[in-house]
Amino acid sequence: MPVLFGSREWCEALLTAVNGSSEYRNAGATWGVGFNGNLLFAFEVGDGLVAPLYLLLRLGGGRCDSAEFVVGPGHPESGFTLRAPFPVWRDILERRTLAAAAILTGKMKVEGDTIALLRHAGANRALIHCTASVKTEFRSPS
Amino acid sequence: MADPVIRALTELVRGPVMEGAAVPAEFRSNFGHIVDARPLALLRPASVDDVIEAIRFARANGLHVATRGAAHSQSHLGVSDGGILLDMTSLGRCLRVDGDALTIDVEGGAIWRNVVEATISELLVPPVLTNNLNVTVGGTLSIAGIGVASFRHGTQGDQVAELDVVTGEGELVTCAPDRDADLYWSVISGLGQVGVIVRARLRLRRAKRMTRTYYLLYDDTARFFQDAKRAMDDGRWDHIESWTSPCPQGTKPVNGRRQVFARWFYPVHLTVEFEPGAPPDDRAMLDGYRPYEVLYTDDLPLFDFLDRLAPVFDLWKRGGTWEHVHPWMESVLPWETAPAMIEALMPDLPPSILVGGHVLLWPAKGNSSRSRLFMRPAGEDLMGFGLLPAVPPRFWEEAKPMIDVASRLSVAMGGKRYLSGFVAFTPDEWREHFGPQWAPFVAAKRRWDPDGVLNPGFVPLTGGAAEER
Repeated sequence: MPVLFGSREWCEALLTAVNGSSEYRNAGATWGVGFNGNLLFAFEVGDGLVAPLYLLLRLGGGRCDSAEFVVGPGHPESGFTLRAPFPVWRDILERRTLAAAAILTGKMKVEGDTIALLRHAGANRALIHCTASVKTEFRSPS
Repeated sequence: MADPVIRALTELVRGPVMEGAAVPAEFRSNFGHIVDARPLALLRPASVDDVIEAIRFARANGLHVATRGAAHSQSHLGVSDGGILLDMTSLGRCLRVDGDALTIDVEGGAIWRNVVEATISELLVPPVLTNNLNVTVGGTLSIAGIGVASFRHGTQGDQVAELDVVTGEGELVTCAPDRDADLYWSVISGLGQVGVIVRARLRLRRAKRMTRTYYLLYDDTARFFQDAKRAMDDGRWDHIESWTSPCPQGTKPVNGRRQVFARWFYPVHLTVEFEPGAPPDDRAMLDGYRPYEVLYTDDLPLFDFLDRLAPVFDLWKRGGTWEHVHPWMESVLPWETAPAMIEALMPDLPPSILVGGHVLLWPAKGNSSRSRLFMRPAGEDLMGFGLLPAVPPRFWEEAKPMIDVASRLSVAMGGKRYLSGFVAFTPDEWREHFGPQWAPFVAAKRRWDPDGVLNPGFVPLTGGAAEER
């Protein structure tokens, strides 16, 4: 059953998906090791999202320790922020666009070391896949 | 022949002219098999005069002229949409070897195989040869021309003493690094934008009769890079060739779909030339190198070494993959970011990419080339990276975004695309690619091809993109 995007249940479903993914466990094995691998996904307004949402993922060594929506637009714990309008995120999460392509074409802004992010392209693609695998109801939470 | 324009062209030239509808299908595309272009006419020039007449005729009649050699390009090069396509292979003779000056004069449509065959009996060879010897001199000089000796001798474009060029105004001009240098350096790596190469005086070097190649295998990226640099710097080697090679491991999920994945290794072939009876000292040659394993040592006569990939290409042709889509993504990377690029791309690359293709790595020295338009990153040590797949046509749309990501990733890593491959730059990306050379390139186009007759449709040197700045 789909869970509402932006809800606590959605975060729990994402956490379960990431930690149950052998793809992420392997591809992300070196992500966040020796550096801050926490990611902040910044979903900016658009396409039905009337207020921005900020998802903080605490990541390291192929695991996700927590996933929660936080107050934005930045967060002191994040090592990297991926910031894009919600329509771009939907294109990525519904697999119409590769996250790497969105970054490299400037549709998605990276705050943090872009090269480090691209160097771990497999880890981040696996993470996006896990995110996309959560059965999601996309409507703006009120 | 119905078309009056084509009839008029036919009366001006001696070479055969073929009307668009009669042009064989192979001339509508190139090795990329991505573009489908239909020329108004195909001309096989019988002489340089035919090239001059065709360009002047096109200029007077508002037509374009495109040049085609072996058509090993993959984007909009070597094809014509609605213009005159010059099949330059009809001007393919090797003219004269000068053993004292160490040069050979050849026509622009000569293929490198014929150049080698014309010189090797005197133990002379061009310093740089492409892996595929069946491409034309005019074609590779217009791109750059890179090979396994480029770490030492630069590009083929760096090994030219003089050119005869027919400009976009239909004028025959002889140019050289010290004579009409601006024209010369706008033709070398100039993508056929300012002139058609009709004769080249190529430099030659003295060679030895035999080669010995050491087949080294590396399992570690850092160690591969260390030894690649050592091989460029220690002065022992005449040729360095390397790539990546997969050992399939089973399947794993990539983007949620299980696909075959591989552990990628790095084969390195280090080659030294020698005279029969005086072979190299193997231990001394490999002293200091730290491969996972030395697999094999191979002695070949020089020509067989230079032509070593012919059996591979023949296999691709017999297997049918030669006719597949070739969106080759080649890029020259800074030494510092190349490992990151390789480690980002390779782990999820399916081994099937090697069916009819390969993934090349070529260590290079940035300061070995003087070419202005062969764009490469700053720095002495560089690493060429070539993702060279043969994609079945039905998978091309699926593969295209991945090639695009690889291309953009290489640029984000500070790399410069090598332009013989599949390039789909936006106008801004073209300007970014040429950087400080963009304005001089546009100026050269305006000076020698003021009507934008030559080779339109690839680099946007005429029209909006160039004019607006």
